[in-house]
Amino acid sequence: MTPTISCDDLAVTLPGASGPVHILRGVTLAVEKAEFVSILGTSGSGKTTLLRVLGGLLPASGGTVRCDDTAISGPPEGVVTVFQDYAHSLLPWRTVRRNVALGIEARLPKSERDERVDEALTMVGLLDRAEEYPWRLSGGMQQRVQIARALATRPRVLLMDEPFGALDAMTKASLQDQLQQVQELTGTTIVFVTHDVEEAVYLSDRLVVLNGSPADIGLSLEIPLPRPRHQITTKERPDYLELRHRVYEALGHTVGEPARG
Amino acid sequence: MKREKERGGTPVRGLLPLILLLGLWELTGDPASPYFPPPSTWVDGLRPLVDGDKLLPAIGQTALTFLLGLSIATVVGAVVGTLVGASRPIDRALSPSLEFLRALPAASLVPVAALVLGYTTQMKLVVVVLPATWPILLTCRTARRTLSPVLLDTPRTLGLSRWHRTTKILTPALTPAVLLGVRVAAPLALIITLLVEIVTRVDGLGAVLGAAQASFLSAQVYGLLTIAGVLGFLVNWVVTRAETAVSRRMRGTT
Amino acid sequence: MARRVNLLGAAVFVLALVLWELLVRTSVLDFTYLPAPTAVGEGLGELLANGELLGALGHTLFAALSGWALAGLVGVAAGSVLGLVRPVWTYSMASLEALRALPIVAFVPVAVLLFGFSVQTEIMVAFYAALWPIMLNTISGMRTEPRMLESGAVLRLSKAAVLWKIRLPGATAMIVVGLRLGLSVSLVLTLVAEMVGNPAGLGFLLVEKGQALQPGQMFAAVFVIGVTGIVLNGLVMGAARLAFRGQMASSGEAA
Ligand SMILES: Nc1ncnc2c1ncn2[C@@H]1O[C@H](COP(=O)(O)OP(=O)(O)OP(=O)(O)O)[C@@H](O)[C@H]1O
Ligand SMILES: [Mg+2]
Repeated sequence: MTPTISCDDLAVTLPGASGPVHILRGVTLAVEKAEFVSILGTSGSGKTTLLRVLGGLLPASGGTVRCDDTAISGPPEGVVTVFQDYAHSLLPWRTVRRNVALGIEARLPKSERDERVDEALTMVGLLDRAEEYPWRLSGGMQQRVQIARALATRPRVLLMDEPFGALDAMTKASLQDQLQQVQELTGTTIVFVTHDVEEAVYLSDRLVVLNGSPADIGLSLEIPLPRPRHQITTKERPDYLELRHRVYEALGHTVGEPARG
Repeated sequence: MKREKERGGTPVRGLLPLILLLGLWELTGDPASPYFPPPSTWVDGLRPLVDGDKLLPAIGQTALTFLLGLSIATVVGAVVGTLVGASRPIDRALSPSLEFLRALPAASLVPVAALVLGYTTQMKLVVVVLPATWPILLTCRTARRTLSPVLLDTPRTLGLSRWHRTTKILTPALTPAVLLGVRVAAPLALIITLLVEIVTRVDGLGAVLGAAQASFLSAQVYGLLTIAGVLGFLVNWVVTRAETAVSRRMRGTT
Repeated sequence: MARRVNLLGAAVFVLALVLWELLVRTSVLDFTYLPAPTAVGEGLGELLANGELLGALGHTLFAALSGWALAGLVGVAAGSVLGLVRPVWTYSMASLEALRALPIVAFVPVAVLLFGFSVQTEIMVAFYAALWPIMLNTISGMRTEPRMLESGAVLRLSKAAVLWKIRLPGATAMIVVGLRLGLSVSLVLTLVAEMVGNPAGLGFLLVEKGQALQPGQMFAAVFVIGVTGIVLNGLVMGAARLAFRGQMASSGEAA
């Protein structure tokens, strides 16, 4: 199977206050069709940077980035990024419905567009708030609007940057399950950035850990847990706990010592 | 871009079009043109005024009206703004009347003031003071309203007299707001000063400008316009500098 | 948001008028040409009855609004270009700031010189006065939130769509502020142009009534000018709220 989105020997250098800063070096990653890959790493390790390169928002300084065997220059067709800061990525003057329609309104006739928007809003459970303005919604709801906006375009690849980072545990769990259902239904390839180890293990088919400075991939781990997964039973399985243990170790925690921030 | 912003403003390269335009005007302009005399003739146009010793006194009168008007406006605006900001009932009682006064365009006051007060310097001052008061009054009102009550209660518990409370606590706390208002009011006051002078022809640069236009001395009109521009630029520069300097000192160096 | 009627404020306003009336009647305020509020009311009646007022108001509004509308078109277009195309901004902003330092009223004599005692003078002056606030507000409005632009990019909107659907709507609230400021200055400058240039409209009416020693009618005209300003501003706000509901609501100017 050919990878949907991939990078090979990727390097990223960005201008810093005192000269250029090397942020990523030698990152090689290939994501298969319909795969769910998580990218883990501590704050500032370069997760967002990697995702921006994969999404065509930031040019690589070295190495190659491909989407279906064509080199990426600018956001490719069918690859949609969901940003970490939902508050600034929605258009405050558009209602939820019109925000979700933003990516498809120029391409589809009105009836089909409405259908797609309804479908996307149903998937994230916000159909009843369609006529509201996004700034009148809670943070979690706004993030769901952003996800619905991406889903409405029927993307092949969804790049998500800590989409549930700012949410409480309960909302987070329910959104995680919604995301799983959506992926099962649509077969979308998902690259999911997070710093939450439990979340990464629970959701992924595979996870990679970014560490070092400049960062590269320190650990790449298959997660062969059976699907569908369940918040309680899956997280009680011994193999889940074992995988979680290994990821924590890869992030620098050791058994017997109190956790470091 | 960010760095240019921090160093305070727009790149000087941006003056290029203006310089080119003036250069082109100079090269292709007809010195006898009644509409667009080239820049070099402007100085000659001003010469009769300089020789007749009229230009400097005119600038002086404009500057005097402007400074006096702005000072009165600052005092009135600061006092009324502080009062209105200190008490909601006073605010509610006065705001409709103040809003209505604010809606009267300065230009429409000029003939009225001229009729009631005559063609005098007092008349000029009244017309300048009214519009220039608003920005100061408004910033002062907001600042007084949002002033922390603790700041005012602490000295009271320390037993400071009312006079000392006003001079030592209230005045320094509101000074940045007053200056912010002055920064907006100063260019406005200059514009209104020129406006009164152009309309009523009572003394000053505006009167000279109006007279030059009435006798079709186009080169002189452009020369005076340039002087007015320099005055405007100076006023802007001074108030902006003063405002940043003072507010930086008041807030500490952070 | 329920708007309570400010009874206290209205009472003070009326009280001030009554006080003014009394002071003039009792000659405590002793200016030869200061009319009492009742005299102003009479003046308003006279101006309305002989039709002078409406004619003058129409003329002034025509000139001010033409100049303002023209400034709206030019200002938004030029402001967009300046705000969006970096090199254009770099190589012209300083010139614009230098020009802006020229006090606008000083241009009135220049306009009279160039266009004579005509309505064109008024329109040009109104145009020039309104151009600045509109253009400068458009420029700063064009500083769009970068994340919104990236959203447009990942949804693969065309350049035109990004401008039309993200940048311009994002700048709308600022542009409306510029249009409101522009409208009030163009009204003021039209009056000035009428006082010293074209003898027509409300500005000339004021001067004329002053020379005819008719303070009541004069104050009435000032009153009408004030009300006109308030009404125009209200109309612009109302129109903006109707046309750009979302933009105005999201910027806190709730409908
Ligand atoms: N536009 C930029 N210019 C220069 N340096 C940047 C830029 N954006 C990010 N960086 C730097 O790149 C490094 C990685 O940033 P990045 O945003 O990718 O981290 P992250 O892993 O997403 O962190 P977090 O979990 O906090 O979101 C940081 O050291 C940051 O300072
Ligand atoms: Mg990040």
